[in-house]
Amino acid sequence: MAKRTRSEKTKNTTTKARELPKVATGITGLDDVLHGGFPAGRTTLVSGGPGTGKTVCGMEFLYRSAVNGEPGIFVTFEERAEAVRRNTLTLGWDLASLEKKGKLFLFGAHVDPQATISGDFNVKGLLAVVEGKAKSMGARRIVFDAVDVLMRVFDDPVRERNELYTLHDWLNEHEMTTVLTVKTSAGGDIMPRYEFLDYMADCVIQLDHRVIEQVSTRRLRVVKYRGSSYIHKEHPFIITDNGVNIIPISTVELQHKALGPKVSTGHPRLDAMLDGGYRRASCVLLSGTPGTGKTTLANIFVVAACERGEKVLYISFEESEEAIVSGMLSPGIDLRPALRDGKLRLMTAVPEAMGAEEHLFQAVRAIEAFQPDHVVVDAMSSCRRMGTEQASYEYLIRLVNACKEKGLTMILTNQTAGFQNEHEITGMDISSIIDTVVFLRFIDIGGEINRMLMIMKSRGQKSSNQYREFVITDNGIDIQDVYVGEGGVLTGAARQEQEAREALEVRRKRVEIELREHEIKQKRVEMEAEIARRRAELETAEAELKALQLEERVVQEGRDMRGEMRGEDTNSLRLKKRMPQRKGRGTGGKEGTK
Amino acid sequence: MNRSERKTKTKGAEAQGKTYILRLFMADNEPNSRQARENLERLQETHLKMAHKKEIIDVLKDFETALENNVLITPCLILASPLPKVTIFGNLSDTERVLAALRLT
Repeated sequence: MAKRTRSEKTKNTTTKARELPKVATGITGLDDVLHGGFPAGRTTLVSGGPGTGKTVCGMEFLYRSAVNGEPGIFVTFEERAEAVRRNTLTLGWDLASLEKKGKLFLFGAHVDPQATISGDFNVKGLLAVVEGKAKSMGARRIVFDAVDVLMRVFDDPVRERNELYTLHDWLNEHEMTTVLTVKTSAGGDIMPRYEFLDYMADCVIQLDHRVIEQVSTRRLRVVKYRGSSYIHKEHPFIITDNGVNIIPISTVELQHKALGPKVSTGHPRLDAMLDGGYRRASCVLLSGTPGTGKTTLANIFVVAACERGEKVLYISFEESEEAIVSGMLSPGIDLRPALRDGKLRLMTAVPEAMGAEEHLFQAVRAIEAFQPDHVVVDAMSSCRRMGTEQASYEYLIRLVNACKEKGLTMILTNQTAGFQNEHEITGMDISSIIDTVVFLRFIDIGGEINRMLMIMKSRGQKSSNQYREFVITDNGIDIQDVYVGEGGVLTGAARQEQEAREALEVRRKRVEIELREHEIKQKRVEMEAEIARRRAELETAEAELKALQLEERVVQEGRDMRGEMRGEDTNSLRLKKRMPQRKGRGTGGKEGTK
Repeated sequence: MNRSERKTKTKGAEAQGKTYILRLFMADNEPNSRQARENLERLQETHLKMAHKKEIIDVLKDFETALENNVLITPCLILASPLPKVTIFGNLSDTERVLAALRLT
């Protein structure tokens, strides 16, 4: 089925573009990159360092051809024919049976390294063998693998060049569709002595295999293609159990389907906020800090879609299938019926397990096999762990493009660290291809944490510009209005807010009373201290007074006594009056003094 | 030279194992091939005194034999017997070298 589509496509391209005739390569994605295939009856050069996949590329071309009944010859100068047969068995290619049917000929062409060299020679023997074989098989396709190894025997750049020209002329003359593979140095550049091959060939493809941050990446790039258009970009590719797979970035803008009709988000309030729901064939980003309910929101959509009989592919980089299913039971979302009915397919993968290309390839393959209506990726923020930022960016952009080209709705969840950085919320510079952004965040007011939901972007539709409170209940989610008070936006838990405020007021009063009580007590203490002090002062004053009076009396008595003795009659009356008192008191003393 | 002629020449020789068997693979009209053939004939006269078999194979006419012998380069002289097998590429212009390779010095 796939093969037929591919060859039809080739035919169309060839006739429509009035370009040179092409031969489908049979390699997934390569025909798209080459706008049809290898140039028919001409030479294509595939260059690359060791282990970049040159042999597999060449072999797959012949294998697919042979399976479709088109015979081909594979000449290897490096490996033994038996090794090629054995190695390709791991790709599930049974070369031996194709050889028996006369559809494939494997030629392990080895130049004896011990051979003595005496005088001039050339590669006529090789050409004779190939020509003879091609005639007897009716083969029009040929691959020379590791032609640089053959050339070593000449040990002279000029002779090498002459021999390669001989080979090239012969191939042109016989109009063979040829793939030549040649090794490049470690730097990725073709060795200077083989540079002319680039000019000789009509189509030049470079392969490269690099390791960036421990993740290996294979790249393919078409350097030139005489008389034909092709996609100029570097294309990541992978070698799987199915051969070489290239997922080209096509001219995306032109192939995107227009945004489709509304599709329910799975929640009536969110539908209302989005004026009916998400758009089909759009890319929706559910962004938010950890635990805000992105996965829940995504799964509400999933369940609703599956209930309508639509199919959803759910790619999870976060949790296992079991964990997702049981985790969603808590907010009352049951994914099991959808899984059982085959409406939902969960695809879980550890981002680090393989490179971004492989992830992409598996996702695209799953989309092609399952034919879903919607695709969920949870979470795109985990894609960074596939390797570099660039790799994960390419993964996402290619996956989004693939979905858009097919008209699939895509839901991406994105975990952000905060809510200040808009760039982070919309995620990894892909915001331009994202149509709707729903932002979820926590808000901490009145001693509680609430979830908030907001539509940050919504292309091609009206949307609410307000925050809503987003509550995860045992029974799905609940989206509530928010209350706007003096302090700005308040969450819907206004009652609790008020209670908290009242409690604070009571506490404040109690503290105030206590303060007053304390103050009074203090004053009383102060007052008593003052009284004590004053009393002490009074007592001191009284004591002083008494002392003074006593002194005064002694002086008076002395004077009286002297007056009495002198017979003074001044104050006699007073003295007489006082005499008995004095006498009575001081008799003894006076007598004693006498 | 064709396949049938080669067969008649080698009959019985390989079985003995001691006989010198030389196979010259050439591409018919190539100047190098012609030179190789001439050079080999001269060597036969001057140095190959013992009994030997010589086969001349034109790869353009008999690619099957070339394939069997894994011949990619022409001209190419193979000493098939006695073992070890020896391969010499080129027009055999360097007599000393050829003789050394063929263990005839």
